[in-house]
Amino acid sequence: MSEVINLRLLEPGTKISLSDGSIAEVVSNPLDGVWVFARYLSSPSDAALVGTEEMIFAQDIVEILETP
Amino acid sequence: MTDQSEAIAHILLRQQIEEFLYHEAELLDERRYEDWLALLADDVRYWMPMRRNVKFGELEREYTREGQDINWFDEGKETLMRRVQQILTGVHWAEEPLSRLCHMVSNVQLLHVWPSVAEPAEVTVKCRFLIYRNRVETETDLLVGKREDVLRRVNGQWKIGQRKIVLDQNVLLVKNLTFFF
Amino acid sequence: MAKAGTQGYTPGLVDLATGQISREIFVNETIYQQELEQVFARAWLFVGHESQILKPGDFFVSGMGEESVLLCRDREGEIHVFLNSCRHRGMKVCRYDEGNTQVFTCPYHGWSYATDGKLVGVPFFKEAYHGTLDRSKWGLVEVAQLCRYKGTIWATWDASAPPFLEYLGDFTCYLDLSLDAWDGREGGTEVLGGIQKWLIPCNWKFPAENFSGDSYHNISHRSVDMVGIGPSGRGRRDMQERLMARRLQICFPERGHQTGVYVLPHDRPTAPAYRDSPVVSEYFRHCEEARRQRRGEWGRVTGSPGEIFPNTALHPRQPRTIAVWHPRGPHQTEVWRWYMVDTDAPPEVKDFLRQYYIRYSGPGGLTEQDDMENWNYAHAASRGTIARRYPYSYEQGMGYEVQDFTWEGLHLPGVVMDITEAKSSEHNLRNLYRRWAEFMEAKSWAALATWRRPARATRRNGQRIRG
Repeated sequence: MSEVINLRLLEPGTKISLSDGSIAEVVSNPLDGVWVFARYLSSPSDAALVGTEEMIFAQDIVEILETP
Repeated sequence: MTDQSEAIAHILLRQQIEEFLYHEAELLDERRYEDWLALLADDVRYWMPMRRNVKFGELEREYTREGQDINWFDEGKETLMRRVQQILTGVHWAEEPLSRLCHMVSNVQLLHVWPSVAEPAEVTVKCRFLIYRNRVETETDLLVGKREDVLRRVNGQWKIGQRKIVLDQNVLLVKNLTFFF
Repeated sequence: MAKAGTQGYTPGLVDLATGQISREIFVNETIYQQELEQVFARAWLFVGHESQILKPGDFFVSGMGEESVLLCRDREGEIHVFLNSCRHRGMKVCRYDEGNTQVFTCPYHGWSYATDGKLVGVPFFKEAYHGTLDRSKWGLVEVAQLCRYKGTIWATWDASAPPFLEYLGDFTCYLDLSLDAWDGREGGTEVLGGIQKWLIPCNWKFPAENFSGDSYHNISHRSVDMVGIGPSGRGRRDMQERLMARRLQICFPERGHQTGVYVLPHDRPTAPAYRDSPVVSEYFRHCEEARRQRRGEWGRVTGSPGEIFPNTALHPRQPRTIAVWHPRGPHQTEVWRWYMVDTDAPPEVKDFLRQYYIRYSGPGGLTEQDDMENWNYAHAASRGTIARRYPYSYEQGMGYEVQDFTWEGLHLPGVVMDITEAKSSEHNLRNLYRRWAEFMEAKSWAALATWRRPARATRRNGQRIRG
């Protein structure tokens, strides 16, 4: 079982995988432990998302792929 | 000094400091305000910051700053004397009739002793306080927090050189601060 | 005298014909609940100061009436005031006192709002909401109107309220006595760090009437005058100008704002002040000279305590502070105090004033402590079944007001009581309650904004105004 991530610790540049199979890179962190702002690097379910910046919810993050 | 004699000296010093703090509490509770003022160094600093609710990771902003921000108290000997004088006029309505006070002091820790435990000239002391105030008929206040003091030895007596009072409240839950911490 | 009992507000509780006011207005639970709607939901309230939210993302949690609000500056630099409550299920979206943030996120279900109030983060929006929630309808509740005036920030929930400057009317020049720089330049104040917040056991109207211009209660402060904490070492403040000034109480019946002022004679310079500090006394002297030059005849006017309806108290100098009396039930008030200095003042001046403020006002203030003791027990006494049958006397100085007051060539706007010889009057207090009664009775702002009507009455609730 993957660990429960504390979003407060995600620094800009961190690559994360999401529950829909996407991979995103953290752009900024409001440090609320609930959301991060991240840019989609890949998205098998919706190609239009790639390159866009969205708010990512904590429960949609599966794991940390790479730290900066 | 051997380890054991150092330890014993430390215990004796802590006891001495505790006695001093209990004596101070006694003076305040017995309303011996002028005797209490005599325990303060002439250049005493007595201040009490206010406390904010701040985000985790920003705790350096929890306290209002000494000498820069508005605090609950920011006093020297002169203004502490004025506060005592005001009570002693007998017409300071907030303290007339006088409150009943009980200062409880605990968790006394000697954080720093200079230059040595054997011959201490200055001691940094931290303690906890619980001040109970009962006023007029049923007014009752309970204030709890910490004090960080610097005590200095002056002519064989301990004097309070600095006191920082850390009250564990944000919105102050008492109507006034007419008493001393 | 009408008895309200548990029935709430009725006309006649404030009887300006006789100058008597029922104790009910301070202690009645129904009246209190009515006030929250009739007064606090409709009036302009003080929220904070721009110097508290200088940068985009800066926020300060404040209050309006009983409710918590967020004062913040968005990414574009615009200032907002929002209800501090998630639109989904009500949890506070911010439980910090102040700080800087990108978003306000609710810890209950994770809804997140930008600093302009827009709902920008909804967990499982695509899944649980099937993408159909109209986020534009669910942003933070924003005040209907907001006004920035010389650094101060005011807000109202009522879209039909007159704009703030119209709400102030001719009182504006008296508010300026608190907000303009010592040297007479417009604005130029900042708030010192650390807002004092504390609870007092009385109805909010006790402090509100006190600051409206209770010129009678100097005996409360006799002890602090005896020990001397003033900035020249004597009394509680510098008093010299009063020996030669006219002392006035000024009110605005249609607005409910009032203040005291001192007016110096035409050709007398301002007396020295702050003599305990050479740096501060010289700064004051220099500024005061510039102020008298800039302002001409109006420079003869200095302020003393005042009140902007309903619950913002002004103390323009010695100390210089704004207080808000937040209602916390009929029997309790939460006081918030802001202390101000000239932004450009030298550090030694700010520090001297800071220390003076701390020993004068607030719960540790040698002056304010005695006020609060009186309010506490005056309120407690108002609660008794028998006591409530006996109104309070507010008749001092009735009938001696002057509509059009001029002295040595200077006209003072407002209805004026000259109390230089009389020593005191309750003129300003009656005015506060006149307006309070109007707010309690009026169904709308159309009824309250009487100055907008073409024909004006010269009688107001039976109060005769002698010209």
